[in-house]
Amino acid sequence: MPDASRWLLAAVLAMSASACVTINIYFPAAAAEKAADRIIDEVWQLREGAAAAPAPGPAQGESK
Amino acid sequence: MSLLSTTRRRLGACLLGLVMAAAVHAQGNLEIDTPAIAALKQSMQKRHAQLAPLYAAGAVGLAADGTVALRDAGSVPLAQRTQANAAIAAENADRAALYREIARANDHPEWEADVRRTFAQRWIDRAQPGWWVQQGGKWVQK
Amino acid sequence: MRARLSACCVLALLVGGVSPAQAVDRLSVAVADVVSAGLVLRDIRAEFDAARGTAAISVARARFGERVERDLRLRCGRAALDFQGFTCHRAAAQVGGKRIPAVFDLELDRRHGHVRMAAVLDGGGRLELDAGEGGRVRARLAELKAEGLQALLAAWSPSLVRRVQDLQPAGRVSGELDWQPGAGASPRLEVQLRLSEAGFGTADGLRAAEKLAVDLSLDARRSGAAWHWQLALDWQAGAAYLHPLFLEAGPRLSAHGRLDDRQLHIERAELELEGVRRVSASASADLDALDQGRLALEVQGADLAVVGPRWIAPLVAPASAERWAFAGHASGALQLAQGRLQAAEVAFDAAGFSLAAAADGTALALGPIGGALSWRAGQRSGARLQVAGGHWGKLALGGFEVDAELMGEGVTVARTRVPVLDGALVLDDLSLWRGAAGWAGRGSVVIEPVSMPALTAALELPQMSGVLSASLPGLRVSPGEIALDGALVISVFDGYLHATGLRLREPFGVAAHLNADVEARHIDLAQLTETFSFGSMSGFVDADVRGLELARWRPVAFAARIASSPGEYRRRISQRAVENIGALGGAGAIAAIQRSLLRLFDTFGYSELGLQCRLARGVCLMDGIEGATRADGGFVIVRGGGVPALDVIGYNRRVDWDELVDRLQRVIAGNVSPELR
Repeated sequence: MPDASRWLLAAVLAMSASACVTINIYFPAAAAEKAADRIIDEVWQLREGAAAAPAPGPAQGESK
Repeated sequence: MSLLSTTRRRLGACLLGLVMAAAVHAQGNLEIDTPAIAALKQSMQKRHAQLAPLYAAGAVGLAADGTVALRDAGSVPLAQRTQANAAIAAENADRAALYREIARANDHPEWEADVRRTFAQRWIDRAQPGWWVQQGGKWVQK
Repeated sequence: MRARLSACCVLALLVGGVSPAQAVDRLSVAVADVVSAGLVLRDIRAEFDAARGTAAISVARARFGERVERDLRLRCGRAALDFQGFTCHRAAAQVGGKRIPAVFDLELDRRHGHVRMAAVLDGGGRLELDAGEGGRVRARLAELKAEGLQALLAAWSPSLVRRVQDLQPAGRVSGELDWQPGAGASPRLEVQLRLSEAGFGTADGLRAAEKLAVDLSLDARRSGAAWHWQLALDWQAGAAYLHPLFLEAGPRLSAHGRLDDRQLHIERAELELEGVRRVSASASADLDALDQGRLALEVQGADLAVVGPRWIAPLVAPASAERWAFAGHASGALQLAQGRLQAAEVAFDAAGFSLAAAADGTALALGPIGGALSWRAGQRSGARLQVAGGHWGKLALGGFEVDAELMGEGVTVARTRVPVLDGALVLDDLSLWRGAAGWAGRGSVVIEPVSMPALTAALELPQMSGVLSASLPGLRVSPGEIALDGALVISVFDGYLHATGLRLREPFGVAAHLNADVEARHIDLAQLTETFSFGSMSGFVDADVRGLELARWRPVAFAARIASSPGEYRRRISQRAVENIGALGGAGAIAAIQRSLLRLFDTFGYSELGLQCRLARGVCLMDGIEGATRADGGFVIVRGGGVPALDVIGYNRRVDWDELVDRLQRVIAGNVSPELR
């Protein structure tokens, strides 16, 4: 194989290899956000929306 | 020809990566229903009763790195500042475990930092009005 | 110096052209300069109005040592001047056009060389100064308020007040100061102060105190260029928070040292502190950079039960502070420089540490511990501790010795053998270091054979025979995980259990869980069923449990496959065991042949048995012998063989795990009737 074409092949393969690195560390950001929201809902007990609102009121009195 | 064989192997690994990524993507959900995550959620939910007034008073804020931080202890009675600090430390220990567990439960321990970043942003986005959050290195009140 | 000042005054009066015998009506005095050691007053003007009894004095420029002030004015509401001296009452003072926030009374007694000054501060409180013969100055402070004092100080040093203001000081101070110039060049300063209702707080709330009552006494003498001082502090009331410690009144401090050209040396300080026999310290620092100094602290006979929760837990383990308990005593020495720990020596005397379980996890207790450790920044040092025993959950640990080498934020532990029942847990070449994310480390673990009868008795499990041992050469610690590469082997029921891929995750938190893959071979069913009173079965099984996850020692996930071991052996199952298998399945879960037939025989022959369970989210997905799914959807658990033969077939593939465990426990307890279909 001539040197030039060998290098070309190597370059193409290297490029595809480096492109694959980005694929390998692909992180499902949207799914993670959904998961985070589900957990935050539970930890902060926000699921019933309105139930969360009174929380800071009496709580504030406690901290003073 | 050893160069070619190594690159071919890489290509193979690359295709596998593509397949795995696609699998997760298609599923659209992260696994968060594990006993460890449930235990952490429960522990954090219980502690929230203690932390909520501290968030509201501005004593504790939601930091940019997915932790909670003592921002202004001045509003906490002197005798309770040690407990507040203990609650913060315990919450941060749980949060660190939670981020690790989510990454682990999805068979990608290396996602821990991404999970943490995502949570950091969501905790901040969803903080209640009046709570303090860290943005661009500064504390701002929502 | 005094003589020259007086002469100056007399000269001034004469210039005014007043006869000493006459009363003075109105008098204007102008003096160019008053110069004395450390004090220069330029362009002094005084005006006395005898009729109205008022006076006004101004100084265009004053220099006190290095300090220069312009435009000083004193306006006396009532003044008198005669050869006895000068009195000025209800005076207002201004410096540079700004009023000093106090009302003054001044008396100059020329004959006795006394100057008296009293100031009533706007914010409340009274300050009296009395300068007598020989330069002695006494000050008396009565209920001076922090705000008033700050306002007064603001005229003197705005920058100092700004610095102090950040601490938001509050409270009152009373007491006395006595300055004696002394003979030669050895002046003396005595101070007795009492702070009450005092407090401070930084903006971030990390350092604060409230309702303080503190007595302070200071006695300082100069000899040569240095001041030698003695200080006593008695903290009588109030509380303070110095992040992350909460401190309450009680401590008393006595100290002595010297101040030498802005270098402060505390030669020795003794602190009386509850729970500690003796705390002593020495320190030195530049006055301009106190936090950059060095401090040596020595603690003797600290009662850990008192000191632990207050001082150690909040500093070392705030997240689990409430779960820690301490006992015994410790002594130690610390050296700090530039705000960093340089060296530490600690000796333990019958010390005990215990960590209560998080949620319903496993508690750990160690002690009594004796021995010592020393640590030096940037150097290798060692620790040798004798641990007399301990507990890990229900397991008692025997006495052992820890020989560790400390280096920076790392520790290397040589071979440590912790006796457990009749065996031992042996840690080899364990090294741990603290990184940004937490502790990491590596080493190896061996469990020297522990007999199963002893272990099962200690854990309050049904008695089993056999031996547990482990060889785990690949111990790796990373934040949130302890990985144990190698195998743990339990020889039990004539076969063995082989656990690999052991991972202890989040070991110290609420989410602690253990992962492993378990392989069991040639388990004798006769012994197994007898141990758990499950009726009687004979034969052998192999089991593979993949992805086993235990939380609080209870399985929460696995994929298990149990199958008859290959080989020739007697295969019988008792009527009761069949009934129990039926009971496990719940209503309609497992079908057997008719009850009447079942009753006819005590035991049945079988050719093969198999059970699979994939546990996830509290549900066990069941299956039977591999590839033995029936057309009606049932799965074969026991395939009959011999005479009489019996098939046990399961139909319910989704079984609630908690219910299954509950049933199993009731079956073992003995009183569950089978539900057959």
